[in-house]
Amino acid sequence: MRQHLIELVLFSTYAELRAEAARSYLGLVWWVLEPAMMMGAFYLVFDVILKSGGPDYLPFLLIGLTLWQWMKSCITHGGYAIWSNLGMVRQVRLPPLVFPLIAMLSDTVKFLFVFALLLVILWCAGYPPNQAYFALPLLFAAVFLFAAGAGFVVAALVPLVPDMRFVIEQVLTVVMFLSGVVFALDKVPPPLQQVMALNPIAVLMDAARGILMHGMWPNWIGLSKVAAISLLACWIGATVVAQLASRYPKLAS
Amino acid sequence: MGEVLIELEHVGVAFSAQRRLSGGRFWALEDVSLQLRRGERLGVIGRNGAGKSTLLRTIAGILAPDRGSIRRAPVSCQLLSLALGFVPHLSGRDNAVLSGLMLGLRRREIMARLPSIREFSELGDFFEQPIASYSAGMMMRLAFSVAIQVEPDVLLIDEVLAVGDAEFQQKSGAAMRSRMREGHTVVLVSHNEDTIAALCDRVIWIEHGRSVLEADRETVFAAYHRDMHPPVGTT
Repeated sequence: MRQHLIELVLFSTYAELRAEAARSYLGLVWWVLEPAMMMGAFYLVFDVILKSGGPDYLPFLLIGLTLWQWMKSCITHGGYAIWSNLGMVRQVRLPPLVFPLIAMLSDTVKFLFVFALLLVILWCAGYPPNQAYFALPLLFAAVFLFAAGAGFVVAALVPLVPDMRFVIEQVLTVVMFLSGVVFALDKVPPPLQQVMALNPIAVLMDAARGILMHGMWPNWIGLSKVAAISLLACWIGATVVAQLASRYPKLAS
Repeated sequence: MGEVLIELEHVGVAFSAQRRLSGGRFWALEDVSLQLRRGERLGVIGRNGAGKSTLLRTIAGILAPDRGSIRRAPVSCQLLSLALGFVPHLSGRDNAVLSGLMLGLRRREIMARLPSIREFSELGDFFEQPIASYSAGMMMRLAFSVAIQVEPDVLLIDEVLAVGDAEFQQKSGAAMRSRMREGHTVVLVSHNEDTIAALCDRVIWIEHGRSVLEADRETVFAAYHRDMHPPVGTT
């Protein structure tokens, strides 16, 4: 049973990626081009126009946005997955978490493409590979767990309250600005700084920038705390989904 | 008589009528009881909106009862859904694998059956093309060819005995009938009394979400006809 579900999730992920590539003329190119265009827009506004950047701003921004886009797409795509697959939920008996997992895995594959491009840019910009790169898999695991935790909780509730979708996008934009994705948190007044440093996303951003820009090992204690919180969120999300599983097939989509 | 695989006792299933905070519920199934034994082929008859499809999805375990109880032996139970999980931009081959996985097959089982799926669907080279380029008939041929490969302990069928043009209807109908005669346990929902009479040993009659009668097919059909065409003079 479990092996069957793993096969189903993996093949569906492949199918989703393949179908997405086939849907547009440039196909796979968009996986990299779309985030690149967004990064260009932020760079234009915050560095070229507002001059709020600083010497290291370009790598700082690119790393932040690459990771953030991955988290955000896992949370939204994963979060809407049960709701958008209600038609399937009505026809076949599968654990509902299969659908968010498929969405999150395909977003993760797309992230890996963008990340490869990011590495090339960083190397060209004078931030060469270093031994702290060995910490990247653990960092990625923590980021994925965090996004999955948030995504599962959203996925559990959106089928019951689809109106949530209109709020989630806005909330995520605010969260992005409060998490040190586009500007450093040391630009905020000191009392706020301490509060904002507790934000798990800020911890993940710091760790990624430390590794990629300065060759620094991450703060393991901070990273472990984030992983613990994320696991708790995953557990809560999975429990709520399991509780509500019998209601999903009876909902109107 | 085989062992009882699935037993429903006074089962009711309710849906929310609207997505409103104060939305009421309506009972698609009010009170249904039935027993399904191993090797039995049970037909479900009843008028439109009687709750036949809801009953089938309840037996499949997709819908949980809101009242009453359901007992199930540890058997696999699959509703035969056509084109389940089909993705327009993927090839017929990829969609066959995807749909097969959704219907509960293991990947290696589907891989082994791909040649026969391709042959049965008569798609030829189109099998490798995106199904977005298929006609509706081609799509149904592919969907049926995949669905007929599924072999659960209990097979649940909702009116999908035959699809496509006249020729393929004959072929798919024959394949489905031979599947049903292989001694599988089957629950079949159909409007068509002849189909049920030809394929089922026992019949359950559902009316307004309630099971009216469950017995051998002659008894049920006689009662059903008396109800639909009451003798002249009675009101």
